[in-house]
Amino acid sequence: MIAVPRTWRGPESVGSPLVVLAAWLCGGVLLTFILLPLIQLFAVQTTGTLLQVARETDVRDALALSVTAAVMTALVAGLFGVPFAYLLARAEFIGKSAVAAVVDVPLTVPHTVAGIALLMVFGRHGVIGGPAENFLGLRFWGTLAGIVVAMLFVSLPYTVNAARIAFEGVDPRLEMVARTLGMGPWRVLARITVPLAWRGIATGLTLTFARSISEFGAVVILVYYPMTAPVQIYEMFLRYGVEEASAAAALLLVISLALFILFRHVAYGRRPVAGGGR
Amino acid sequence: MTALAVAGLSLRLGAFVLDDVSLTLPANDVMVVLGPNGAGKSVLLETIAGFHRPARGRIAINGRDVTTLPAEKRRVGFVVQNFGLFPHLSVAQNVALGARAPRRAEADSARIDIAALLRRFGIADLADASPLVLSPGEKQRAALARAEASHPDLFLLDEPFAALDALARGQLRFELARFLRVLRLPALFVTHDYVDVAALGGHLALMHAGRIIQHGAVDDVFRRPVSRTAADILGFENQLAGRVEGHDGRQVRVVVQGNVLRIATESAAPAAREVYVAIRAENVRLVRPDAAPTNAADNRLVGTVVALEPLGALAKVTLDCGFRLVACLMSRDVAGLGLAPGAAVAAAIAASDAHLVVP
Repeated sequence: MIAVPRTWRGPESVGSPLVVLAAWLCGGVLLTFILLPLIQLFAVQTTGTLLQVARETDVRDALALSVTAAVMTALVAGLFGVPFAYLLARAEFIGKSAVAAVVDVPLTVPHTVAGIALLMVFGRHGVIGGPAENFLGLRFWGTLAGIVVAMLFVSLPYTVNAARIAFEGVDPRLEMVARTLGMGPWRVLARITVPLAWRGIATGLTLTFARSISEFGAVVILVYYPMTAPVQIYEMFLRYGVEEASAAAALLLVISLALFILFRHVAYGRRPVAGGGR
Repeated sequence: MTALAVAGLSLRLGAFVLDDVSLTLPANDVMVVLGPNGAGKSVLLETIAGFHRPARGRIAINGRDVTTLPAEKRRVGFVVQNFGLFPHLSVAQNVALGARAPRRAEADSARIDIAALLRRFGIADLADASPLVLSPGEKQRAALARAEASHPDLFLLDEPFAALDALARGQLRFELARFLRVLRLPALFVTHDYVDVAALGGHLALMHAGRIIQHGAVDDVFRRPVSRTAADILGFENQLAGRVEGHDGRQVRVVVQGNVLRIATESAAPAAREVYVAIRAENVRLVRPDAAPTNAADNRLVGTVVALEPLGALAKVTLDCGFRLVACLMSRDVAGLGLAPGAAVAAAIAASDAHLVVP
């Protein structure tokens, strides 16, 4: 029976059947709440409608663009976020908590607000957008670069925070020992620190990817065209209604989930996740 | 040759300080740095290893000034609490990391070296094991093998046993002492547990609030604590306030609450000087109050039992002899002497077990 846990951490009395049953009832409501809409999304599809929508150039371009942009965003987030996370994990400096709070700000900014704020900086007349276009020929409005910028803003906290926690979990004394064994600081990072923090870093990158591929608000305001999958789905919904849009939505969901699982698998190696609850 | 010479080392690191620390460790010798938590022992070790830049002072290892060298060029073997094995590498890979250090460019035959090294430390069968599955003893061997692979000039050990239970600590202490002798390598061992000292130490330095307050041969330091703080660190339970009455030959007479205690000492103290008498609890021998003295030279005090504290095989007894006196004895002797709160008892203390602390 599902309500009987195989192990119970804590006093046996607290794990009494009634407590476990009540907790399972709450969990069941949540699981249903998560799974029912997703199952429903697939239940209404036929192979025909899925294949048909998959053959549409607009939809395929949008999906490819979403995946490309989200992967690029995760890479950029890693490039800047991982070294910064190491700094936050190891260094003590005045205003550190304020700096850490700034990293979390995107989590609390409504995404349409983020889009408008980004537009004012990266738009044609923005402080960065203007010079970038004039001197570098780099446009953010209506380009892949703009999509990455919008995605990065809303998803970089996941990489920085996960990597920071991972680095904090690496005992500095291991780094010290490595140094005394004759390894220079860069070699210690490459051979000891990053390998030990790798799961956390990879989890952060995966979360950044997942958050990026699902981003709508900031992208639609800063870029709109070319359309990412969420924007495309929104447009289909407005133009043709929920049934047309649902086929594209189901397709995006399949791709997002498949990539999410793939990345997690890569990050955690072949071994199953310890304590993954499966 | 001097294995380690630290001269006038000063440093401030947050709440920790090093204040004019000087130490000398002869070649192939072991020095224990003993002090309470927060004394700056680990900071001292980390500064010698090259992780903190001192504000003042010099550090020389094997006659080579390393004060400004980065940690990877100092040739020290660093063993930390829980031994600091890299959990993502096998035991052999851990050891290989030491052997492949750039300074060992000549070690082409690293694979053979490592196998031989693992055999020497008795962990050849654990070569492919993860450090996560090793016992504390195996971890210590792997950590020592890894440090040895990098051919250090000096071992630095930072309370490697601190997180272990008493039984494992005893075994590892014994084994570490044996390995250090066999390897013939100088070592600086930092601990807050004075029990480590007897097993490991040739030399002993006492550290308090960032300063070395006393150092010398282990026996000398234990026999002559220079201050009450030193006596505290050395674990002297009894520190009795008294006044010097006079000398007879090589003994000093000190009056403690009307009792005259004779103390064997080579250092003279002027009469009427306020001093402390430091006595280890295990050196206070309890006898029946009517028993004839077994050694007429012993100091003899009479008192009543105030408190009895059983500590497993041992028991701690607090007496009132006009002042508090703590004795530590085998639990089985408690019943034999009929010890109970309120019971009268006599205490015998050899003159050579009482030490003069002149503040």
